[in-house]
Amino acid sequence: MKVSLNWLRDYVPLTASPEEIARAITFLGFEVEGIHSTAAPRLEHVVVGEILTRARHPNADKLSICTVDVGPAGGIKTIVCGASNCDAGHRVLVALPGAVLPGNFAIKASKIRGQASEGMMCSADELGLTGDHAGLLVLADRPALGLPIQEALPGGDTILDLEITPNRPDCQCHLGIARELAAWFRLPLTYPQERFRGDVSAAPQRPDLLAGVEVRSPEDCPYYSAHVVFGIKVGPSPTWLQDRLRAVGLRPINNVVDATNYVMLETGQPLHAFDAHRLEGRRIVVRPAAEGERLVTLDGKERTLDARTLVIADAARAVVVAGVMGGQDSGVTADTTDLVLECAVFRRQAIRAASRRLGLSTDSSYRYERGVDPHGAPEAAWRAIDLILEIAGGVVAGPAFTIGGDVPWSREIVVTHDYITERLGFDVPAPEMRAAFEALELRVTREEETAQPARGPAWTVAIPSWRDDLDRPIDLVEEVLRLHGTERIPAATVVAPGLAAEDDPIVRFNRQATDYLVGHDFHECVNYTLRPAREVTEWALPAELPRLALANPFVDDQTHLRSSLIGGLLESLRLNQARGVPVARLAETGRVFLEREGQILECIAAAFVLAESAGERSWLRRESADFFTVRHHVAALASLAGLRIGDLLPAAAPGWQAGHAAQAADPRRGWWVSAGLVDLALARSLGIDGRVQAGFVALLPELLPSRAGVRRFQDFSLFPAALRDLALIVPEATPAGEVAARVERAARQAAAASFTFEGASVFDVYRGPGLPDGHKSLAFNLVFRGKDRTLTDDEVNAAFQRLQVEALAGTSWQIRR
Amino acid sequence: MQAQLQAVLAKAAVELPAVHLRPELEAAKARYVGPNGEFTALMKQMGAVPKEERPAAGRLINEAKGRLQALLDEALARIAAAELSAQLGPAIDPTLPAPDPGPGTRHPLTLVREEMCRILRKVGFSVADGPEVESEYYCFDALNTPADHPARDEKDTFYLPADARFGNVSKKDPAERYLLRTHTSSVQIRTMLRGEPPIRIVSPGRVYRRDTTDATHSANFHQLECLYVDRNVTVRDLKALLDHIFAALLGKDTRTRFRPHYFGYTEPSFEVDLAATHLPRVNKPWIEIGGCGMVDPSVFAAVGYDPERWTGYAFGMGLERLAMLLYGIDDIRYFYQNDARFLRQFA
Repeated sequence: MKVSLNWLRDYVPLTASPEEIARAITFLGFEVEGIHSTAAPRLEHVVVGEILTRARHPNADKLSICTVDVGPAGGIKTIVCGASNCDAGHRVLVALPGAVLPGNFAIKASKIRGQASEGMMCSADELGLTGDHAGLLVLADRPALGLPIQEALPGGDTILDLEITPNRPDCQCHLGIARELAAWFRLPLTYPQERFRGDVSAAPQRPDLLAGVEVRSPEDCPYYSAHVVFGIKVGPSPTWLQDRLRAVGLRPINNVVDATNYVMLETGQPLHAFDAHRLEGRRIVVRPAAEGERLVTLDGKERTLDARTLVIADAARAVVVAGVMGGQDSGVTADTTDLVLECAVFRRQAIRAASRRLGLSTDSSYRYERGVDPHGAPEAAWRAIDLILEIAGGVVAGPAFTIGGDVPWSREIVVTHDYITERLGFDVPAPEMRAAFEALELRVTREEETAQPARGPAWTVAIPSWRDDLDRPIDLVEEVLRLHGTERIPAATVVAPGLAAEDDPIVRFNRQATDYLVGHDFHECVNYTLRPAREVTEWALPAELPRLALANPFVDDQTHLRSSLIGGLLESLRLNQARGVPVARLAETGRVFLEREGQILECIAAAFVLAESAGERSWLRRESADFFTVRHHVAALASLAGLRIGDLLPAAAPGWQAGHAAQAADPRRGWWVSAGLVDLALARSLGIDGRVQAGFVALLPELLPSRAGVRRFQDFSLFPAALRDLALIVPEATPAGEVAARVERAARQAAAASFTFEGASVFDVYRGPGLPDGHKSLAFNLVFRGKDRTLTDDEVNAAFQRLQVEALAGTSWQIRR
Repeated sequence: MQAQLQAVLAKAAVELPAVHLRPELEAAKARYVGPNGEFTALMKQMGAVPKEERPAAGRLINEAKGRLQALLDEALARIAAAELSAQLGPAIDPTLPAPDPGPGTRHPLTLVREEMCRILRKVGFSVADGPEVESEYYCFDALNTPADHPARDEKDTFYLPADARFGNVSKKDPAERYLLRTHTSSVQIRTMLRGEPPIRIVSPGRVYRRDTTDATHSANFHQLECLYVDRNVTVRDLKALLDHIFAALLGKDTRTRFRPHYFGYTEPSFEVDLAATHLPRVNKPWIEIGGCGMVDPSVFAAVGYDPERWTGYAFGMGLERLAMLLYGIDDIRYFYQNDARFLRQFA
């Protein structure tokens, strides 16, 4: 919202500099987004001159040669000019040699196309003023010749562009800001004086112009008034009014429309004027639009309305989208002689919804949707009528049509000095608090002493109708602090407890996972959570896809919640490769969304990619990462969450390369792990060079232990181990993990109570001659140990025999000897 | 006998230094001190030495034995050293670069987040977390956001379809819609609903706005919020916390200031500015860094805390913005592109 300092000075005698005023507004709680001055710049050697003669330039069609009188000191100058309006008789501003115009443009005596020129006649633009740059700035009020520019141009103004917070609709106007500044600088506030004061007792009645007003939607329109003014003369507004509107960015239209806009900018109350003769049936009806009802609004667009939109109608049709914009054929025109002035209050939500639906935001809808003071509306109407009578003539008819507005306003808040001090944490003297209230027109109707142990008085504060935001004692704490100055909050040290609580387990997991991955030379990445459908299909199962879609995506490549972190990491990999940045290891932690039995689960996750770039060269070649590299990392990451992932089985999501990736999951408990090679064709289609190994771990945050369990020391034997090797021939399809599990179970049983079995590890896998077709051999190294003695060969051999029998029982497996 | 001993030793002194392999040494050793060795044979002659000569002969033999053993040890040590050096290849060139990638790097957002959490943990805050998919209640209603507030608009907030079901994100009311949280304040609500004051948490996390992505906007970004609830918490305490945070982060001369503002969930509310002249690429005396205020009594009422009894403050800011100020980064999109040349700069 733009405000003019000159305009504010109508209500409050501000003497502070524009910078001090902007600072005051900032600390009152309104952001100053811009300050600009329309004052004439202080430029040396720029003076008033009068064009005496104008002649064509002999060598250029568009140039003229003028003689210009720049006053007694300068005499008569010859100046070449390119403007079309350099007519003899005009008084203009002349930049003489030595002047430096904005943009560091130095004026010198020179020759232009062979003709001497002793300066330059200026346009507004060239002087750094806002305005027309099409021609010379002609000084209509003919100041004296030779007068310096800053004396020749009228005093300027400063325009502040403010952001008004939504809790302060009362400040959406000059009076509201003036009231705040009056409180800040402790200056008196002067309200505009109405002569009319709403008195229509002696006024003539004109039912021939307006016969009736009906409000059919009183909930959406709690107040509506219509005044008739007849015998007006529509024309341009006086210069002062046009200047005021222009200064804050409004285009002057005519004296009636300008008067309503002026009052809106002054008081915050939107107003609308109808041509009385363009209202059919001499009636005004406030009602919901008929479904599909059409209306051409002032901007020339035809709007199709629905029943949720409130309109102002005459007997036949909608003429205004209530609170938003008037219609084209009911407003005031140059021929209007009799008008109806609407002053209404609409429900905020109704106007906001209508404005949204129509995609139409106006000065009026902006104010209505934030709320206007229903108790200030009549005053605003009177103020507008005063202004119309003053600048457009006419007579007020009586009585006015007024519907609603009969709910009286009354609000008082009781607050104590003690309460405010306790909330602030520092002392503000009681008289200063009271003075702050009163400066803001929050009248203290009662002051009494409070009982011990409280100190200081209790105040009963009457809240004016425009401060609907003040409702509780805490709201008054803010008012005291605003006027005291938030810059004066005294410094203090932080008082902290000796014991802080534990961090959330999610935070701990993410931190540990990141530490692990960074420790293994991965670059931690951050990718967007919202992904394109294409990518989600690569990493989710088809059934999950629709469930991950947003209801209202914004852009095509961010339509779905991610179900994996790998898609983002591949994108980061592609970007680096495309930019010629060698990078092999990328990782990320973050939320993913996985489906279980028709429900989406928000899971925590960690993932990484390991790229083997086909083109990369190095003086020393390392063995590239394989499935077991990434399997190792996912198992380590899962163990950070306390999970043992067990065997991995072939992966199902289309992003993985068949036969070269695997997964494990326990959806019931809520964890999912996958690892392996990214589908080669997919990587190629993404534009990624070389093979990519990847790993992904996701789990429900609820699975994380809230604290580490208590661990107990387990004693171990110091006697030597006894080792045995066992090779089993099993069918190709039998998972190694299944064989290992069976061997371990059998070994544990065979060792039984007499000694311990410490584990079996695969040390060889063989396929080929000597084995039956479709079979493989897995060789295990078994470790036995005695708790309290060195084992004898005999007892170990006996156990080894028993375990072979046990491991093979009920299987087609064979011992390979 | 002495001459014989001398002869054996002389022979060994020539032969043993020429032995280069362990089997040869073993063979040589057998030739001298094995059961049929030359030296062993001489020792056997001791029996034939007259009794009175035995001490002298024994001395001679022992002396000779010691020298022979020294020769053998020397040969063994030489062979063992040769074996070890045979395990090595040619000497390395230590000036060549390691071919492995790395070191790994933490993302600048992680670095800034962890630094803030570290600073806050020292003054008693613990790090809290909560879901990114939220219901309208936890994101808006409980935070005193009116039903028609623009932030709830589908134009500004991402919603999930009305029939979306989230297994582990609770709703207050079954009719509520799910959305992507627009601030981490929902974590404050969930934390307060779970326990009793005093509460002192910092909740960093990812948030979502339906915004056009450009140099300063991103469809998702990160926030960090602090919440403190206790008895007698004051505006002055809040100012003290912010002074502490930014002094710890940017140096003890760093100043902050409050400007009154409006947020639905705090009263009074402030925007926080940082004296920024020492930050890279900032040419204003003050720069906005976040919002804060005293927890509005209506928020306490929503979580079942007695507003008469409990007071508190909340502070929130954008992590990208903080990182941009701290490091002088001028485009938020860099955080999400993960160009390694960017990532390597901050670790």
